[in-house]
Amino acid sequence: MACGSTKLWNGEATWFCCGNAWGPCASAGGGACGTCRSSALQAAWPNASKACWDITRPDLCGEDIPRRGCGSVMKVRHDCSGASVCVTVSDCGPRTRSFCSESTCCDGICRTNRVIDLTPAAFSAIGSLSSGTLPVSIFE
Amino acid sequence: MSVYRTGDPLDRRHFLTAAALRGATVIGTGALGTGVIGATALGAVDADAAFAAPIRPLDPAVAESAFAEGRITAINDDVLEVAGSYGDHSRIRVTGATSVWKARATTAADIETGDGLYARGLPLPDGTLAADAVWVNIVNLHATIRGIEKTRLHLAHGHHEIVGNLMAETTNAAYGTASPTADLSRLAIGQSAQVLGAWRPSDGSVDLVRVAVPPGAGRRR
Repeated sequence: MACGSTKLWNGEATWFCCGNAWGPCASAGGGACGTCRSSALQAAWPNASKACWDITRPDLCGEDIPRRGCGSVMKVRHDCSGASVCVTVSDCGPRTRSFCSESTCCDGICRTNRVIDLTPAAFSAIGSLSSGTLPVSIFE
Repeated sequence: MSVYRTGDPLDRRHFLTAAALRGATVIGTGALGTGVIGATALGAVDADAAFAAPIRPLDPAVAESAFAEGRITAINDDVLEVAGSYGDHSRIRVTGATSVWKARATTAADIETGDGLYARGLPLPDGTLAADAVWVNIVNLHATIRGIEKTRLHLAHGHHEIVGNLMAETTNAAYGTASPTADLSRLAIGQSAQVLGAWRPSDGSVDLVRVAVPPGAGRRR
């Protein structure tokens, strides 16, 4: 699947570490797909599998996010700056249900609920790691 | 939550590239230990502002931005020698236009051997990466609050316990959709929390910058 322009979803993006890493991330491992690396343009998707869905439960926050498995490609766009990055699904996450109704806003645009987790490489391509969350739109 | 604003990213990129290629930094004596980075003619250089807008190459022939991560093994003048987590090696060049974050927006003088980092910048012909932003020791962890003391939190992250250091005038809490506040009194044992902070290589603890808990979790009764 290509990094296309068909709207898939929108919400909050967060970031996480995976693969070999330093500090507390050293124990993160390769993620649900076994291929996750912090330095790669990758993402965790809350419906990467049925088992993944049972953990993240975005439906409890009103997000009926479609299934996209390991290897799926998406374009993630920062809703205010317009910066975008193409990522490959390589893990399961974020745990949407733990932060229902949380929102991130910029320039009057607000996105609610955590719908995608980006690796540091991917997140830093469109925003600052020190912000923690970004409002994004996702395409495929 | 965060809002990013900045000046013209193309101007910033041009400055960064030019500074690196000319070897002309605004780092005091040219050594990281004595230098000052943080103010340029381009305006704010804190990490958030640095990434406010997409950074596009000035010329199609110029490579897109690159990313590097790892631990600093040596600091030679304005170049950080970095051992990547997969056995790779990077050389990160810090210029006058580089934003540095280490628990806060700071200067390159705070960067030490042994620190971990994520860096973003332009690959240069000499093999270095001219960084436009460097995040030192930054971590962003999903954890559960297991204990609360006056000066620290005890956090469970996966199967590991992490000590989170509360820093006066720095640590804040975000309760659901409310703006971050210095009031930490609504943090409670058992809460899920997203923890953003700076890892301390010396003891493995984390200096807490922001502890975000889900909406409703910190509501006053």
